Amino acid sequence: MKNSSSYTTVAYLFLAPALILMGIFTFWPVGYNTYLAFHIYDIAEGTARVASAEDGGYFTHFKYIYGEDLFHQALKNSLLYLLVVPCIQLAALVMAKLVNNKLPGMTFFRATYYIPVITAISVAGVAWAFVYKFDGMLNGFLTWITHFVGIHSGFEKVEIDWIGNPDIALYSVMVFTFWKGLGYYMVLYLAGLQAIPAEVEEAAILDGANAWDRFWKITVPMVKPTILLCTLLSTIAAMKAFQEVIVLTKGQSDTYTALFYVYDQAFRNYNFGRAAAAGLVVTFFCMILAVIQFRFFGEKK
Amino acid sequence: MKIKHSVLAGVALFAASIMSAQAAEKVKVEYWSNSLSPKFDAVMKDLTTKFNASQNQVEAVWVDVAWDAFQARVVTAVASGKVPGLVNLPKPWMDEFAQKKMIVPVTKEVASFKNVYTKGALADVTYGNEIYGLPWYQVTAVLFYNKDLFSKAGVKEAPKSLDQLLAAAKQVKEKTGVSGFAPKLNDGFAGWFLYDGLPLIKDNKAVFNSPAHVKLVEKFAAAYKDGSIPKDVFKMGFEEQIAAYNSGKIAMFAEGAHALKRTQTDAKKIYEVTGVAGFPQGAGKTPFGGFLFLWSVPKGFKDVGAAVKLGQYLTSDEAQLAFAKASSTFPSTNKALDDAFFQAGAKSADPVEQATAVAATNIKASRTLTISGLPDEAAMNKKLNDEVEAAVTGRKSAKEALDAAAALWNEKLAAKK
Repeated sequence: MKNSSSYTTVAYLFLAPALILMGIFTFWPVGYNTYLAFHIYDIAEGTARVASAEDGGYFTHFKYIYGEDLFHQALKNSLLYLLVVPCIQLAALVMAKLVNNKLPGMTFFRATYYIPVITAISVAGVAWAFVYKFDGMLNGFLTWITHFVGIHSGFEKVEIDWIGNPDIALYSVMVFTFWKGLGYYMVLYLAGLQAIPAEVEEAAILDGANAWDRFWKITVPMVKPTILLCTLLSTIAAMKAFQEVIVLTKGQSDTYTALFYVYDQAFRNYNFGRAAAAGLVVTFFCMILAVIQFRFFGEKK
Repeated sequence: MKIKHSVLAGVALFAASIMSAQAAEKVKVEYWSNSLSPKFDAVMKDLTTKFNASQNQVEAVWVDVAWDAFQARVVTAVASGKVPGLVNLPKPWMDEFAQKKMIVPVTKEVASFKNVYTKGALADVTYGNEIYGLPWYQVTAVLFYNKDLFSKAGVKEAPKSLDQLLAAAKQVKEKTGVSGFAPKLNDGFAGWFLYDGLPLIKDNKAVFNSPAHVKLVEKFAAAYKDGSIPKDVFKMGFEEQIAAYNSGKIAMFAEGAHALKRTQTDAKKIYEVTGVAGFPQGAGKTPFGGFLFLWSVPKGFKDVGAAVKLGQYLTSDEAQLAFAKASSTFPSTNKALDDAFFQAGAKSADPVEQATAVAATNIKASRTLTISGLPDEAAMNKKLNDEVEAAVTGRKSAKEALDAAAALWNEKLAAKK
């Protein structure tokens, strides 16, 4: 028999490949980022020095972003972006429920809904820019409808500047995120749904429960762990919204998000310390949201 | 015999060692071009070989770095101390790098030959009072217009000033329903102020809320309102402008001659009715849309003299002409620009050839219109662009918008001190 310490060694050996990779590409950058947030980084010299009293003290970067309107705006937009989370979760669950049956051709639908997920975001962005354009598909389609129902006539057109008008641009970008992410969460929910034993549902049908009740009283509680996972993932994704913005609006029209601020500070202003500090603040918000979600959906022990 | 052999071998060995020692004495100068491979491999390799053949102290090594990775790689190189001898920067990056002291001034080294470059280019490579680069290739915008739409609208000739241009755009819109002109607005408005000879900063204060600045923004706002410039103009980049022009949705746009090549292949009918004119010079005494690439020496390179020597060769008349011919861009030396190659198309009926000649004449005055040295570029440019967009699209008055942006700029500028 082997003793327990050699078991531990073997276990760590198995973990090693993943741990080493994560160490290099995840833990070390996170650690160094935290370090940078409290330092003044000079690219020309390649040195980071502790933020001294002259620079405004140890927390100088945090003080700066605390007082900066642009960062507040960015953070507000990122938090507003969270609105996409409940929408996408509910829609994905309903969609998973719909494709979770044995009708012929169902694989086709499952695959179709998944296509946006595997489409490169830059390519999808170009396509959506055409949809949202001033004389683009969406306005064209709406014009057709308004003519059909008789609101407009002649050469009147629906002219909504979907990604140019600061009042609605952020929501337009959110719709893009919704479309892009829906299939991913649908697949996760599908896996969760298939783990529900058929007997439970059958018993409920025998007891006379209708589809509405069965959805809320059986499906939802039984996929709760999946809901937690998906909500967590999509919350983090929403807080990190950046690529969507850069491909659609480049941060114009009040769609500037927190990570866009981080990017701008690092690669436009070359202020890596400030970027790191702003990144930490975003991480902090992600963690708070994660804690809240564990409270809501987590198993009570 | 044996002795003879060994002596011979010894001599050969000795000779070889001397030669290799000499070879080792050559200073290696690595130089990084910006996204030129693989399209321009042939000309770059040729230039490298020719330079190396002419030198016995300096050896050039060509490396190409992609645009997206370029800034990050230069930053990393400077931070780690392993720097190339020359890096190929566009003018705005040169300013940023000079501001962060990541490249070194070469004013002394170029003093003897700097007058071969055009005035505009030389002004572009100057930051503060120092020269930070050797001007290389450049592009400039010329004005392309749809002659069909012009004649339908009754516009007789190509505009000679910005006001005439906007008036023509309005006339086209009124008579044909097509937007007359798509000005380049997607990457900021600062360039338009500079084009019109209006400074943004004076004595460390933002001055772009003066009546003259307000008037310029109001001109664009009026054009936006009456539809003479398209409603999604702020989203229109290079690709979108060409697409709109090719499909007859705009009557005029300004770009380099390379843009029109796309019209030639994608929209033959539009190409046939395309007229070409120089972009009218504003009070800034420069056409719009100029962009210069140059060679700078990164901080930490040991032998600045050797690097400048290579730079001088790369930016010489002959080498610039070779590169310009291969890439349909323009050189930045006076002599190369006067070459028959660029002027050949002046009387041609073909729009691309004509555009080349027009641009070559204009480009001597061409400046890269950019504002640099800001303490918080990201936030300041964003604020200015957002406010101008709000003013042009009619959500705010021009005065209000520029005042708001100037307030933020002054706050940032004051904080720097």
